[in-house]
Amino acid sequence: MKEKRKGPLSRAAGIAEGMAATVRRMQREREPRVLVYDPAGYARLVQPEARGHDRIMEVAEEMLTLVAGRE
Amino acid sequence: MVDTLTPERAAERLRGLSADVRAAVLLDAAGSPAGASDDDHDHGHELAELARRLFEEVDRATRDWDTDPPEQVEVQIPGGAVFASRTPSWTLAAVARRGALSSLMLYDLRAVLRELEGGPPIRRSAAAEDHAAAGPATEEHAAEELPMPELGADRPERA
Repeated sequence: MKEKRKGPLSRAAGIAEGMAATVRRMQREREPRVLVYDPAGYARLVQPEARGHDRIMEVAEEMLTLVAGRE
Repeated sequence: MVDTLTPERAAERLRGLSADVRAAVLLDAAGSPAGASDDDHDHGHELAELARRLFEEVDRATRDWDTDPPEQVEVQIPGGAVFASRTPSWTLAAVARRGALSSLMLYDLRAVLRELEGGPPIRRSAAAEDHAAAGPATEEHAAEELPMPELGADRPERA
């Protein structure tokens, strides 16, 4: 079957969509969150309302503050 | 000769592997600091204590889960991220820059711990080693390594 030929406008739109998706993914990855990984490498999210979530965040923030203070 | 990784150098090794690592610390099985990327002794101890508390809090938060205890943890916070990985013998934690790739960070942490426990050291690829031996890269060298022969290069010339 012959491949459908795309024009320059639809190609540009495709690139823009890809870039927007990348930016959204990067923003999502940087949102505050706690992930734990089991020995097989499977990730599990510690829900923000879960017990202990806030304390984990606090400890991590203390670590970051400590390092930032040294730089 | 292969250079054996010691606990004292493990944190620095991690920092050498990833430019996104701002500081790293290694703890032994008892939770005592075994090495830090920072020369400042007190600072390293403080970071080690926080890394120990991090896994303590993770274990507390996940103790009711019907899974194995977590081996690695990733905490994304405004301004950066904290990653930590552990084995029965060691815990390695790193404070990373904002935007550090999680998968790479976790891979590097695990690789350093594996090397520390007697696994094969992380080495540059053979191609990179050859480059280093051959001296600085030049366009001539790059041209010699083209995987495809030039079209018509070995075709007999026509009369």
